[in-house]
Amino acid sequence: MKNNNKEVWIGHNDINSPELQEIAKQEFANTVPVVDSMADEKVMESSTNRRDFLKYLGFGLGAATVAASCEIPVKRAIPYVVKPDEIVPGVASYYASSFVRGGDFSSILVKTREGRPIKIEGNSLSPVSHGGTSARAQAAVLDLYNVNRISKPSMPWAELDQEIMKALASSKNIRLVGNTNMSPTAKKAMGEFLAAYPAAKAVNYDAVSASGILEANDASFGMATIPSYHFDKADFIISFGADFLGTWISSEEFQYGYVKNRKVDPKAETPTMSHHTQIESYMSLTGSNADNRIMVRPSEQGSAIKAFYNALKGSSMGSDLNEKARTALEKLAAKVKASSGKVLVVSGSNNVAEQVVVNAINEMLGSYGSTITFDRASNQRQGIDKNILDLVAEMKSGKVDAMIVMDANPAYDLPEASDFAAAMSKVKTSVFMSSVPNETGALCNYTAPTPHFLEAWGDVEPKKGMFSIVQPTISPLFDTRQGEESLLVWASSANLDQTSDQPYYEYLKANWESTMFPMQNNFMSFQSFWDKTLHDGVFTAKASEPAINMVADVNAYLNKISKPGQGEEIVLFETIAMGAGEYADNPWLQELPDPVSRTTWGNYFGIPVSWEGGNSMVTYKDLNQGEYKGNADIVEVSANGIAQNITCIASFGLATDTFSAALGAGRSVVGFAGKNVGTNSMSWLTRDKDGNVQYFNALDAEPKKTDLVDTEFPCVQYHHTFGITGQEDGKEINVDEKTLMTIGEGFQGGLTDRSIIYQANLSEVNDLKAKIAKKRDFAKHLNDATLYPYEEYNEKYYSQGHHWGMAIDLNACLGCGACQVACVAENNVPVVGKEEVSRHHEMTWLRIDRYFFGDHENPNTVYQPMMCQHCDNAPCENVCPVGATNHSSEGLNQMTYNRCIGTRYCANNCPFKVRRLNWYDYTTADLFGGNEVSVNGEEIPFGADNLTRMVLNPDVTVRSRGVIEKCSFCVQRIQEGKLTAKKEGRALREGDVKPACQTACVTGAITFGDFNNEDGALAKALDSELNYLVLEETNVQSSVHYSAKIVNRDEAIS
Amino acid sequence: MSSVVSPIRQPLVTGGKTYHQITEDICSPTERMPGTLWFIAFAASIALLGVFAFSVFWTVYYGIGSWNLNRTIGWSWDITNFVWWVGIGHAGTLISAILLLFRQKWRTGVNRAAEAMTIFAVICAGQYPLLHVGRIWLVFFIFPYPNTRGPLWVNFNSPLLWDVFAISTYLTVSLLFWYTGLVPDFATIRDRAKGIRKRIYNGLSFGWTGSAKHWQRWEALSLILAGLSTPLVLSVHTIVSFDFATSVIPGWHTTIFPPYFVAGAVFSGFAMVQTLMIITRKVLKLEDYITLEHMESMNKVILVTGTIVGVAYLTELFIAWYSGYVYEQFAFYNRVLGPFYWSYIGMMTCNVLSPQIFWWKKMRRNVFVTFVMSLFVNVGMWFERFVIIATTLARDYIPSSWSYYTPTWVEIGLFVGTIGLFFTLFLLFTRVAPVVAIAEVKSILKSSGDQYSHGSQGAENEKEAVN
Repeated sequence: MKNNNKEVWIGHNDINSPELQEIAKQEFANTVPVVDSMADEKVMESSTNRRDFLKYLGFGLGAATVAASCEIPVKRAIPYVVKPDEIVPGVASYYASSFVRGGDFSSILVKTREGRPIKIEGNSLSPVSHGGTSARAQAAVLDLYNVNRISKPSMPWAELDQEIMKALASSKNIRLVGNTNMSPTAKKAMGEFLAAYPAAKAVNYDAVSASGILEANDASFGMATIPSYHFDKADFIISFGADFLGTWISSEEFQYGYVKNRKVDPKAETPTMSHHTQIESYMSLTGSNADNRIMVRPSEQGSAIKAFYNALKGSSMGSDLNEKARTALEKLAAKVKASSGKVLVVSGSNNVAEQVVVNAINEMLGSYGSTITFDRASNQRQGIDKNILDLVAEMKSGKVDAMIVMDANPAYDLPEASDFAAAMSKVKTSVFMSSVPNETGALCNYTAPTPHFLEAWGDVEPKKGMFSIVQPTISPLFDTRQGEESLLVWASSANLDQTSDQPYYEYLKANWESTMFPMQNNFMSFQSFWDKTLHDGVFTAKASEPAINMVADVNAYLNKISKPGQGEEIVLFETIAMGAGEYADNPWLQELPDPVSRTTWGNYFGIPVSWEGGNSMVTYKDLNQGEYKGNADIVEVSANGIAQNITCIASFGLATDTFSAALGAGRSVVGFAGKNVGTNSMSWLTRDKDGNVQYFNALDAEPKKTDLVDTEFPCVQYHHTFGITGQEDGKEINVDEKTLMTIGEGFQGGLTDRSIIYQANLSEVNDLKAKIAKKRDFAKHLNDATLYPYEEYNEKYYSQGHHWGMAIDLNACLGCGACQVACVAENNVPVVGKEEVSRHHEMTWLRIDRYFFGDHENPNTVYQPMMCQHCDNAPCENVCPVGATNHSSEGLNQMTYNRCIGTRYCANNCPFKVRRLNWYDYTTADLFGGNEVSVNGEEIPFGADNLTRMVLNPDVTVRSRGVIEKCSFCVQRIQEGKLTAKKEGRALREGDVKPACQTACVTGAITFGDFNNEDGALAKALDSELNYLVLEETNVQSSVHYSAKIVNRDEAIS
Repeated sequence: MSSVVSPIRQPLVTGGKTYHQITEDICSPTERMPGTLWFIAFAASIALLGVFAFSVFWTVYYGIGSWNLNRTIGWSWDITNFVWWVGIGHAGTLISAILLLFRQKWRTGVNRAAEAMTIFAVICAGQYPLLHVGRIWLVFFIFPYPNTRGPLWVNFNSPLLWDVFAISTYLTVSLLFWYTGLVPDFATIRDRAKGIRKRIYNGLSFGWTGSAKHWQRWEALSLILAGLSTPLVLSVHTIVSFDFATSVIPGWHTTIFPPYFVAGAVFSGFAMVQTLMIITRKVLKLEDYITLEHMESMNKVILVTGTIVGVAYLTELFIAWYSGYVYEQFAFYNRVLGPFYWSYIGMMTCNVLSPQIFWWKKMRRNVFVTFVMSLFVNVGMWFERFVIIATTLARDYIPSSWSYYTPTWVEIGLFVGTIGLFFTLFLLFTRVAPVVAIAEVKSILKSSGDQYSHGSQGAENEKEAVN
């Protein structure tokens, strides 16, 4: 992708030859010797006669015909004359690095093949991300090969530097606008810049901000930081709208801690687990995992916190909270009161007063020092909302004459984005530093493109003293320069050696030598410390707990909490995939279904759904009644005076008069994948009196039904529930089973008696064990009636060698979707686009089914990762007429893509519906072009260009159209593990083979292994009475075991 | 065949036909310019055939994605149409083979057209297994042929492979049977033709001279082929039903399918014969050869098979309830009351309730009622296959994957297109071959011709005919 010079290099000496350099500059060489000689008069006298002419003509014609009739193959090869040490063709190398984007962080290992990064894995050495990766981190590798990246600066770097430095030198007010910056070295570089330009000021903000917490902690403790939350140490977790398992601050860290206390020991006489209550307005990922949900309207959040505080305090102040929530909170308070030091209360509120009261609650419950500590304070959210508000005001007044935008997008993600955009015209010099275009970049005068983090050097300090390295895994694909380096260049820093090959690398190293190296005493020389850090990717320095004093006057803040609003409200939330829109140009994330609503490609307007006794669920204004047929209505919604159309989705768990919509959609200047996908809900955000952004708003008017219907409703799961109950004629019935049918009672038990999901309350675990045992006995009884001796087969074939299997703990699965993106990245699973998803043509090999159960007004949720079950008596195998799918001696259900003709009989006969046909040419691998699918109106179909194709895993075949595909248990990894073991002359060890989904999962919900390894992790996971096989009675002998879902629901609350 | 026939039986050839008149009546459509009606029908059929060709192009060029199938519903209109067409074909074989063995004389009036219908229906049916695959250019993989890949064989466990054998055998045997019957009739046309037509029909009739030896061998071959076809009547649709019956999908996995499918096939086949015969006899003026007696006999078969199918539907429901197996129970509950309830209603009304009208003799002998009923039955049988295939797949084991289905224009185009293909072939057939088996009708004239079996009445008819 660099300059593609076509000159012939004879040797390195030529590079300095002035003649050749002169020639190289000219597009057309002006000395053409042939023309000279032809012009010579002697030519006329030459002895070429007619016969020769005809001979040459004949030969020329013949040769041209022969040459033209052969298609000349395009050859691509790796021209290694001297093989680099670190690259062995066909063998992957891993580099430790970090995924950073604003406040998002994962410590990662980057898998590279032949010098290309192709997959991101978690770094298990990290004390922050614990080897887990988020869906966002998994998808980041695709951003590297984004065709919409900015490929070069707006003018050559030298000129750009000159112009910008000139402009900056004459500026009176320079503003550096960015999001959270966790890099100590970048901060140092920024410091140098600020020192060089005294007129400069840095403004940090976060689109989804924790400004309220930072300011509240400043008020409470005099420390504007976010503490460490220890979900593993809490017996009671109470969250006021904090989506800590999904998007709040440091989700992988929290997931890791949370699950520790959520896995149930099936052997225990009286098993225990933490109790999690979520007080929220819409069903978030965290709320869906909670044992109890208390529903409050978004504007009641403060009153709820207040009510809980008062209940703990025992003060009988009147409350303006709804009655149901208030009683529930009082009961909750009574329940947790005695468990001092074992409770953790968090709040997602961005209001200072509310957060101060939450701090007071935690203080009262003795959380500080046990479940909340400040020794490892988090740097993951640093933005203060009112700073950016001040900036907009300054810009409007024309005070700001130079601005450098660093990877931020205030022209889109601020509530006053339009004001910001308008005020940009008053800023004389504006520089945009990012690797991808965005709304703000479009308004800037200069573009200084930055590399993707996989091409860059850097460091991160996500939590105090916990460092992580960012190292490049490929040389920059485009003409980019790191933002930090640009700042240092413009600051004319003496510490930056601009003549060096990698100036910022030297700068970073120097900073580590002076700053981090002294923090440790394991290494004597810096080089060995540096090598070790690069190898591990992480370095942890010592830290100590600071003294904590509550200084704020809680009563003052209690009075500041505003009263609940009236009328209909909308709650605006961040999704795990889109963030605040910064991930919108990633097709993998666009196609990742939202865990709760199961929608892809865009945001949807959550409307409440209830049941009032009929044969259908009742939705708000009877909208979306045809949802199960893929028909969704479009409504006009207005807040802040801005009316927009948005597609509805019927949603469980919404509070009264509350609607929901995700943030981060409707981008206008972005790569093709995000362009005009969904509705821009950022403009519906509002701010409180302190200037902090509030993620809810009152609607101007009732949502208005339009005549429009969304013909492309990309929801992958129409069917919602699995045993939602309601009261009819005084008895409890299964609402879902009734509403599935057009008339009558429905087939009561038609869903719940299926052996797909088993769930119970913690107090009924023993009953559940008995139930599972009974059902499994019955299944075995049915299966024993076969004529075929499966036991014998097992004995004969699978008891030797390997017999691969999997165990999935439904209690550990939180539904975050990281495994799904990991699977897509590992297995070259194609992206199909919005329309194709709406036609249920999605290609995902691994999906996470979401089912609701329990009371229809406030259900619980279970997430079930579902992939090929690798049945040992697979129904798909025997029905294929051409034998394209068959069974390996290791128990794998294999697909032979070359042999498949696409009858889809296997897909029909799969009880788990995990087989996927390539309906169109999704991989652009077909011979004829007309059937390539446009993912989102892009010119060249996604994946047809060579840049995007660099992300493909060379170990996995790219499937053509008309071919069935499905989960292979990552057979390429199994093979690699076996070969490694063989090469090393040893038996395969536990952990040699881990499929992509397992490595992505931070909670350890997925355990892959060998059934024949009796001491392995799989055997341990299977040794539980809570284990079951999905659809065991069909006698398909599947290889994926599930462990039942246990909730710790307290019926008194909620 | 000219055994004694009871005078109570209605004559099968009316109008006091002589042997020569029979030849004249049946051969003449092949010898004169077709009428306007035929041209209109042919133009319409060709137009539909064009729709078919375009839909095929679209499917192959753009891929199966141009159909509205999805991850849950892998088959719908494609296999529905396949089973529907195969089923229609069954009447021809039943009439020509089983009724021949049972010495049913009334078969002679309709067997030729019914056999032709069988062949054309099987040709139409055969389009779908080819077109529905994702990679049609590799469809030869389903044939067990020697190859250099191992050799790599087909999967003999797969019902889809059994289909390949069943359908190809069926087509071959039906074609042989049909052609064998045509040989003496082609010779009749040849004897009346001149010039190039004579040469062509001479070739087609294999030099038939009508010698006693020829007739004897012809009779023997017909019986052998009838013997071969008889098991096919039962086996072909049984094997088609195995596509579903051997699967694990609740609603498909039922042992009742083979007899139920065969009965349904005969049911729909007879209905299609009725549709075609009522039009043909009118257009080609063959009312004397395809009489109300023929129609009544076929209506009786429709009534019987329709009722068998009805019993099968009820048995399915009973067995689902009796099984105690939740998946099975739900599948049938869903068929009746789920989102596709209208197709179940369509199936029940058209297939079970409406044929009951044929308990009344008056209705059985009413041409209009018969015609409408024959259309009803075919619609109903199409619904039956749709219910079995699409409704079942839409909601199977795992609720998260449940889906809904509506066809795209390509799928509709393919279905309508095969109707065009069918009628194009049938209309051509009526121009080039005798639509009634001349030789066979002649063979029953002495026993079932009205002038012989019904004395005075018949003699009067004869007089009229001569005048």
